[in-house]
Amino acid sequence: MERTVVKIDNLVKRYGELTALDHFSLEIKEGEILGLLGPNGSGKTTTINCLLSLLSFDKGRIEIFGKEMTPTSYDIKKEIGIIMQNVAVFDELTVYENIDYFCGLYINDKAKRKQYVDEAVKFVGLEDFLKFYPKKLSGGLLRRLNIACGIAHKPKLIILDEPTVAVDPQSRNKILEGIQELNKNGATVIYTSHYMEEVEQICTRIAIMDKGKKIAEGTKDELKRMTRNTETIIIEILDLPKAVRDKISVLPHVYKTDYDDDKLTVSCSGGKHNLLRVLGLLQKEELSFGRVYSELPTLNDVFLEITGKALRDKEE
Amino acid sequence: MQIFKAFMKVLKKKLPSGLIYIVVFLCIAIPMSLNGKESEKYEDSTLKICIFDEDDTPESKALIEYIDNKHDIVSFEKDKDVLFEKLYWEEADYALTINKGYSKALANGDTNDMFGCYSVHHSYATVYMETYLNEYVSSVRAFILGGQDSKDAVLSAADSLSEETDVEIADNSDPDYPERFSSYFQYMPYILISVLMNTLCPVLMTLNRKDIRYRTNCSCVRPNRYTLQLFAGSTVFVTAVWLILMIAGLFMYGGLFKGNAWLAVLNSFIFALVSTSIAVLVSSFNIGSNGVSLLTQIIGLGMCFLCGVFVPMAFLGKEVRAAANFLPASWYIKANDMLDGTNVFDSSKLATYIMIEVAFIVTFFIVALLIHRIKYNDSDSLDS
Repeated sequence: MERTVVKIDNLVKRYGELTALDHFSLEIKEGEILGLLGPNGSGKTTTINCLLSLLSFDKGRIEIFGKEMTPTSYDIKKEIGIIMQNVAVFDELTVYENIDYFCGLYINDKAKRKQYVDEAVKFVGLEDFLKFYPKKLSGGLLRRLNIACGIAHKPKLIILDEPTVAVDPQSRNKILEGIQELNKNGATVIYTSHYMEEVEQICTRIAIMDKGKKIAEGTKDELKRMTRNTETIIIEILDLPKAVRDKISVLPHVYKTDYDDDKLTVSCSGGKHNLLRVLGLLQKEELSFGRVYSELPTLNDVFLEITGKALRDKEE
Repeated sequence: MQIFKAFMKVLKKKLPSGLIYIVVFLCIAIPMSLNGKESEKYEDSTLKICIFDEDDTPESKALIEYIDNKHDIVSFEKDKDVLFEKLYWEEADYALTINKGYSKALANGDTNDMFGCYSVHHSYATVYMETYLNEYVSSVRAFILGGQDSKDAVLSAADSLSEETDVEIADNSDPDYPERFSSYFQYMPYILISVLMNTLCPVLMTLNRKDIRYRTNCSCVRPNRYTLQLFAGSTVFVTAVWLILMIAGLFMYGGLFKGNAWLAVLNSFIFALVSTSIAVLVSSFNIGSNGVSLLTQIIGLGMCFLCGVFVPMAFLGKEVRAAANFLPASWYIKANDMLDGTNVFDSSKLATYIMIEVAFIVTFFIVALLIHRIKYNDSDSLDS
């Protein structure tokens, strides 16, 4: 049976009138990559800060590796690696010195530390930049340095708090691949993000948060099954008569239609050949149409259905 | 010692901005002290006088001889432009013309148009020379009125005026605390504040940067161990800066310190701690490197001007002196003034001044600690 690495039980954190975490509970098993997904302000970072005992909380209990986590749980902290959204390194130290410094906060033995730092450098591919100062590195390389500083001491639990914000797609993929590799090497990972695609791509289990509460939890397939929507058909069509739209609305398995900006959106719940049925009807009505495509449900649909709002604003 | 090592590495990067102050200070202070005379002896001033004798009589020649005994006589063409140029370039201090009829006027007591001159108006040389000539003429007239003829009178006057009075400047200074050494310690507050603020502030600000502290707090390093290592780093640096200044002081002193010089050394060490506490306090605010430079100038120059570092306290207004009591440099200077003999030495007063400096240190550290506590309070970490 897999060991429970993190157990958050009924956590409540208040900032005056604002309840940042509202009876939040979560369990993370060894070897998992748990995605903590939620919009900005949902309580992800507060959860992480409570988890690391950097924040006190009003109610609840946190256990890591079977022991209660407190601000003085240094034996537990030794096994945790943290990679933040901001690149937290010294501009005055070289790449190697930075990794050595942060690794040295956990590992006292000089020889062991050297070995760990060398491995971390190799892992993030910064071998050619060891004597560079951070200001001379590109954004992508800086992120890699940030990761190396967080994982050099070989932690058993790695917490990544939105590590891909403002990162170019190429570097983002590298980072995601790196996280999966760390997980393969035995680390349990907590990954917070408001990018659902990333969470879907790498996480073995996902917890969705909103307003300090856990609103859903499971694998991505389990979560998607929570939504009524199984397929969304989108058809570009000019001047769709209302009568035709009404006919589409009553087709089998169709539970919602929208027509906006010359685009017909048909939401279906279950059933087979939904697309063929809709296209057949349009053909019968002798209506010409442009691009046609079908989308499977996303985590955003899950979030939308549970909360009535999108996980991510359009501009994001 | 990971944090201590990082402190030293960051310090190495920030050091040039602070060291420049020490280098400039020592470059100015050492030659000044080596060239400075311990106690200058009193001696009469000698002027460069250009004389045109239009009278050409034994009396006028006697005057020239009298002037020549005390001053340097220089010769130039009697041309207004030439003489003005010589006066401007200080090749001559005074151009005297002994007018025709000088000897007759001297005998008759008509002293109005005896001399003509070219000189720098209101200059020291002009005033001095006019007094000098008046004295001579008055003396000659006195001998004439006493019954001597003018030939004898000029000789008698020259003879009587040639008598010199020995002048000695009283030296009440402490031989163990020479004047050149006193001025070295006088300017030390500015150097200590500038060096420590310009160097220590950026280092502490870097090591206490919010994201760096966040990462460190996540690690298994205890916060008090972190603070202790920062403290150790700061102590090593401050002691090193102070020692450099003291070693330079030894060089200027010309051997091992004696007597009151040791108290000045102690006073400077206390002020080094005051500067450190100010640097720690300033580093509690995120003001950036430009902000630190600006604040260093404001605090350093402002405090030093108000507290008598650059201008003696006696020259400062009553209100300024009252306001300066709220600044630590003022107490440093008061102690220093007592040690160099400017004010009367009183050991109990000296101890009070040093204790007030210590009180400033404690206050600044407590305020810095409180700010630190508020800054790293958990509500600060709220971002989602």
